[in-house]
Amino acid sequence: MSTREKVLWVVAGIVIVVYALLPVGWIVSLSLKSSSDIANGQFLPTEVSWENYSQILVGDAAELFLPALRNSFGIVLIATFISCVLSMFCAYAIARLDFRGKKLILSSALAVAIFPVISIVTPLFNLWRQIGLYDTWPGLIIPYLSLTLPISIWTLSAFFREIPWEMEQAAQVDGATTWQAFRKVIVPLAAPGVFTTAIIAFFIAWNDFAYGISLTSTGAARPVPAALGLFSGASQFESPNGPIAAAAVIVTIPVVVLVLLFQRRIVAGLTNGAVKG
Amino acid sequence: MSTTTTRTEETTEPVRPSGGTSDRARAEQRLGWLLAGPAFVVMLLVTAYPILQAAYYSLFDYRLTDPDKRSFVGLNNYLVILTDSVWWTSFGVTVFITVVTVAVELVLGFALALVMIKALKAIRPVLRAVILIPYAVITVVAAFAWQYAFSLDSGFVNSWFDWLPGVSADTDWFGGTFSSLFVICLAEIWKTTPFISLLLLAGLAQVPEVLQEAAKVDGASWWQRMSRVTIPNMKAAIMVAVLFRTLDAFRVFDSVFVMTAGANSTETVSFLAYRQTISRLEIGLGSAVSVMLFVSVVLICVLFIKGFKVDLSAQRGEN
Amino acid sequence: MRRPRRRSRALAAGVVAAAMVGLAGCGAGPTGPPTLNWYINPDDGGQAEIAARCTAASGGAYQIEVSTLPNDAAEQRQQLVRRLAANDSSIDIMSIDPPYIPEFAEAGFLAPIPEDVARRSTAGVVNSAIEGSTWRGRLVTVPFWANTQLFWYRKSMIAGSGLDPTRPVTWDQLVAAAQRKGSQLAAQGDRGESLTVWLNALIESGGGKIVTNPSPDDPKAVGLGLDSPAARKSAEIMKAVSGVAGPGFSTADEEVNANAYQDGSAMFTVLWPSSLWGKVKSAVEEGSAPASLLADTGWGEYPRTDAARPSAPPYGGINLGVGRFSPNPDLAYRATECITSPANQAYYFVANGNPAVKESVYSDPEVLKEFPMAPVIRQSLDQAAPRPQTAYYAEISESLQRNYHPTAAIDPSTVGPATAALIRAVLAKEKLL
Repeated sequence: MSTREKVLWVVAGIVIVVYALLPVGWIVSLSLKSSSDIANGQFLPTEVSWENYSQILVGDAAELFLPALRNSFGIVLIATFISCVLSMFCAYAIARLDFRGKKLILSSALAVAIFPVISIVTPLFNLWRQIGLYDTWPGLIIPYLSLTLPISIWTLSAFFREIPWEMEQAAQVDGATTWQAFRKVIVPLAAPGVFTTAIIAFFIAWNDFAYGISLTSTGAARPVPAALGLFSGASQFESPNGPIAAAAVIVTIPVVVLVLLFQRRIVAGLTNGAVKG
Repeated sequence: MSTTTTRTEETTEPVRPSGGTSDRARAEQRLGWLLAGPAFVVMLLVTAYPILQAAYYSLFDYRLTDPDKRSFVGLNNYLVILTDSVWWTSFGVTVFITVVTVAVELVLGFALALVMIKALKAIRPVLRAVILIPYAVITVVAAFAWQYAFSLDSGFVNSWFDWLPGVSADTDWFGGTFSSLFVICLAEIWKTTPFISLLLLAGLAQVPEVLQEAAKVDGASWWQRMSRVTIPNMKAAIMVAVLFRTLDAFRVFDSVFVMTAGANSTETVSFLAYRQTISRLEIGLGSAVSVMLFVSVVLICVLFIKGFKVDLSAQRGEN
Repeated sequence: MRRPRRRSRALAAGVVAAAMVGLAGCGAGPTGPPTLNWYINPDDGGQAEIAARCTAASGGAYQIEVSTLPNDAAEQRQQLVRRLAANDSSIDIMSIDPPYIPEFAEAGFLAPIPEDVARRSTAGVVNSAIEGSTWRGRLVTVPFWANTQLFWYRKSMIAGSGLDPTRPVTWDQLVAAAQRKGSQLAAQGDRGESLTVWLNALIESGGGKIVTNPSPDDPKAVGLGLDSPAARKSAEIMKAVSGVAGPGFSTADEEVNANAYQDGSAMFTVLWPSSLWGKVKSAVEEGSAPASLLADTGWGEYPRTDAARPSAPPYGGINLGVGRFSPNPDLAYRATECITSPANQAYYFVANGNPAVKESVYSDPEVLKEFPMAPVIRQSLDQAAPRPQTAYYAEISESLQRNYHPTAAIDPSTVGPATAALIRAVLAKEKLL
């Protein structure tokens, strides 16, 4: 590669970095503007202020934001966990066993993945209010499974196909049952794939908005994206832009940390699940 | 992916113990369903059941605050929707957003993928990490970021770009249909291009290097190599990426909700369904819109699979 | 504003299977007094403070916990209606925006008011607030506070505009004055409830009505006054105002208006006292606005549509409803009486800028000191006209917003009849919204 070419690629790389980080940088910058500085028309704050953060973490808006944060973490982690367990068994069966209906399961997963969330919000709302799941954690965990299960099943089946199954066979020859072989041999081999799947499922559930605003109505179960969408600022006199920006930054931190720590795995998982499947 | 056929063969063939009896096969059948069943049932319960319920409600005149007056109206709700310009406007807006974002994302995503594959080893992990950030950022957060950037009272876009014709300190981006849609599309594109580019990157990585070299030896230009060798060889990857993004874009809701709440004719089909049910509390009419949205998505899918011959089961390595 | 977290719920929710049991688990512990949940609209902390005061004053008879609803009035209604449709027993008291009260009452979401509570809570209360709490001739909610808009101007800036602020002004005069001075008239042009508020005030001020018969039994037979001369004049005013209301008019809400007034880009505005006077005062206290701004601010009656007819300013505010499914309706009504006591109303007025419904509060020296325009507010509340009272208010309001927004694009000669047709079709469920 000539020097000129190298420079060209580096420049292209810088353009990509700017593209990806500019809006994130902007929301961080906005969150550091004091309320009198919000309208300064500039990218950066005139003076860094922590006012917005103190407002949502300890101030008047804390009672709106903190429960939402707790709900988001709780609901998303539980949904991620359940969907990982279910899809682990499912993907194992798909990758390993020969049984009728395999194709049906895979096509259903595909169909569920393309399902418009809004279409099922109405009947779910109606059902939930009748059986008392409206505005509760399980009332969101269950629908979140419809978001996370399909992609988990794909991603995991892809990972499971690449596991050296001879080892399982060997274990079975040694007298282990299918279940024992699965647990003792395959689980450790599959753990990285499961972990990656969990991260992707977490992203997807963390991102949900439509279920969040439709199936909740108070701090009892409302997750952060929905709280942000309906957020009003701490009082009627204050512009909510600053506190929303601060809340947005806080909910972005976990995903950015995950991305930075596990970027290689996430890329592998995404491309495996969706392309290679 | 077609590019995966070489790889899948070695991995997907179930390793079956030789000389399996029918007992063994039956046990495997049972175990298969035992393991896969729960996930399957949960998926069906949370989607198939509600959509059937929606189809049922859509035949009624049913208002949430007035359940006593619920009455059967047959297909009347659908008639109302199909003869209403509001539906067609929303449909048009949704198609517009879908076509614009998917087209731009495909080009942009391809460029990103090319840079990532050619980039120096040293900066590749950096690129991979930053490109994942838009993917991981919550859609609502992205929508707020772009909205505030363009808004009159807290934005910087007007002061940065006031040298452009048509942009001044007083440009009200959310005051008109097309300028609002422009910002909505921008936010969508920013957020989802990385996903497309990763899918394309995977496809790109599997274009046989030999073909490229052969074309080079034959004296093909960069553009010729691209259009004759690279793109045809990753057609399947492109189609899958486009299909997934199209379906995703067609369901656009979060950005519209946050940025304009449907003002200035920026309402999408998802938003229309939400508004009938959740704001207007007309369960019957809203369910009918939901069913229409669902049917639209299914139609798009069928169109792709039949029209463009995207064979998803082949992509998935199932024979 | 802090409230104890509902641990019982959070814990129960952790287990999927426990979901249905979990719902029953909220409320007070085995020993404490019964908890009343009060769903409030966001404010500056006043309702939470009043809740604490009433809890203390009850002497252990009850304790009030507040839950905050979204900012937007339409969103507040959605949240409440959805919960009530789910027969939610956790809603004891709710702060309801008056135009939605008929819908709540009609759907049977409100517990009937005991005779004596009704009598006491309407004694000495401004007329518009009683009207706003009543449906089908019966009091269905307890009047809490009443809001209205005034005309606010920068004394230093309107000099030379040809406007005489000591006399009632008309919208036409304001538009002309803004043009003459090259300044803005700040008003609420964004697509939202505030647009309906404005349109209704314009039409009522001109002697017209949006809905001429509330017609509760048959929504299809609703009478609409949108093709009246007053409605047409109102559309003309809206269009004219959008020419002098600044570049972001189609997305300008109260917040934007107050900022435009404060930074001097608008020399006058129509706003609620809390959104203007309250905001200006706190900006001066914080130091983000010069102290002279307070002295420079003048106020008067809401602008007239018709020079010969006193204006009918917007009526807003909050009334308290008691949930139909509340396990303690009597206790809840006792609590509303405490919440709406003259002392608490005066406190709320002074602390949050939300005007009282009790007439006596307007002569409270503390109130007069903090809100010197209190007499004008009271006068405005007497003249104020409510928005259309019908169980289908949400649909009517959204239809209005659909056709009257953006105001710059209105065709005054056709918008009225077109909107009337839209409303009829929507109420007949022949159209989407």
